[in-house]
Amino acid sequence: MGNISVELFGKKLRNPVMNASGTLGYGKEIERLWKISLLGAFVTKGLSVRPHHGNPQPRIWDLGYGMLNSIGLQNIGIKRFMEEYSQFFRRRRTPIIVNIFGFTEEEYFECARVIGHTSVVLAIEVNLSCPNVKQGGISFGKDPEVVRRIIRGIKSETDIPVIAKLSQEVKDIVEVAQAAYEGGVDGLTLINTIPGVVNDGGKFIRGGISGPFLKSFALKAVYECAKRLPIPIIGAGGIMNANDALDFFLAGAKAVQIGTATFVDPNTIPKVIKELKRRYKEGRWKRDL
Amino acid sequence: MESIIEKNEEIIENHYILNVRVKGRIPKITPGQFFMVRIEDREVFLRRPFTVYDQRGDLLSIMYKVRGRGTMVLSRMKKGQKLSILGPLGRGFHIGKRDFYLVIAGGIGIAGVHLLMKRIGKKAKLFYGTSSSLGVSLVKDLMDYEPVISTMDGSYGYRGDVVSSLREKIDGFLGKDLEVFACGPKEMYRSLKELLSKYGFACQILWEERMGCGMGLCFGCVVKTNDESDPEKRVCFEGPAFSLWEISL
Repeated sequence: MGNISVELFGKKLRNPVMNASGTLGYGKEIERLWKISLLGAFVTKGLSVRPHHGNPQPRIWDLGYGMLNSIGLQNIGIKRFMEEYSQFFRRRRTPIIVNIFGFTEEEYFECARVIGHTSVVLAIEVNLSCPNVKQGGISFGKDPEVVRRIIRGIKSETDIPVIAKLSQEVKDIVEVAQAAYEGGVDGLTLINTIPGVVNDGGKFIRGGISGPFLKSFALKAVYECAKRLPIPIIGAGGIMNANDALDFFLAGAKAVQIGTATFVDPNTIPKVIKELKRRYKEGRWKRDL
Repeated sequence: MESIIEKNEEIIENHYILNVRVKGRIPKITPGQFFMVRIEDREVFLRRPFTVYDQRGDLLSIMYKVRGRGTMVLSRMKKGQKLSILGPLGRGFHIGKRDFYLVIAGGIGIAGVHLLMKRIGKKAKLFYGTSSSLGVSLVKDLMDYEPVISTMDGSYGYRGDVVSSLREKIDGFLGKDLEVFACGPKEMYRSLKELLSKYGFACQILWEERMGCGMGLCFGCVVKTNDESDPEKRVCFEGPAFSLWEISL
């Protein structure tokens, strides 16, 4: 099989395939089907400084063309995650990307402080789509100035590489990406779920939409940002198979994340990795490391 | 796992039993565990969870009620068609070594205790509640165990709900080392909790919520419990069998 390892933030990853945040639990759950060490890197669920309760039931809506989730960022908190799980990932020799969120700017900085410095953490992925409770719930990621400030603040707290995960629901995603870059960001994950609303028996519920239809939006974001910014981009959104992943690499992504596809077929990630290796070996996928 | 439909039969209106022959060996199933089934349709994206109704060799059965698009499409599938299934998933009933068991099922909840009855039926009494005599067909396979049947309209057996029929009979079971297993709607669990709180029996129930992945990955199907360090449990992963006493009802 072909060697599809990739270098990211100075570290060599087995392959350029990761899970998207929140689609592979805390990492141990999937091991009844496949070893987590298959991944290039494991991306955690969104973690906050303090444990966070999620939303009431139901939390999932099947839209036919994809799904809407309103999980509500339920998580056990960064500290507990690091205590209970980092040893597991160390044993599996699988680097972690810690996805963080906050409801105030200070909470993002606190997250970075709590992670500290540990060799198993490859990077911090900053979910900027959270509502800013001090600014009427507008998501942080909409304002380039806020993005610049948050990234700069996180960077001053940690020497771990920082990735900004951006939403495409902004005026100009390149402008936001540029602001993150000016704040000192080391990489980008493009894109998050797209905000949507479902009518649940007369009750309107907000959530994030994901699924195959996201791909063109994500691909556009990757394509446009890769042309303009000299930092690695991780493509995410609507990847269901190896062909989708290859489109992202060709558009300029250094790595990809697979999310919702895992719910439809929990073996999607190993299948994509296998197929990418095959294509590479056969010389059908040429790339620069 | 790939499987082929052997039979997909309507038992009573909107209630079906689906038998599939699974390619390869089915792992050992604990009653209460479930499978995620891929239903191929333009309007169905995610897999749907179904509790295991029965299993013999490579033959797996589920009993389901048509509720939405997914089950509607499933009900139209025919013998010979392929079905991708994933399982068994979740934590089923923990069956210890009690002297006797009371098994309580409401409506389509019978699907969740059928396999359990086949395993422990000789040491168990089944209480089954349904809306009318039509629903009695869902339990015909378990008639040898002489279930106590109640119907809301009184057209068969006791008139009233299943927990009321249990209330009338429960004195006959006191003094035994027994445990209660139940599967049914949330209102049934509420009245069961009220009744059993006087007796302090151990009681396991099957909880149902809408699922995304079925494997503990997405945190879509959580239920609130009284566990202080982890109150929100995943139905698909820590459940679907829970103690009646740990669930916030």
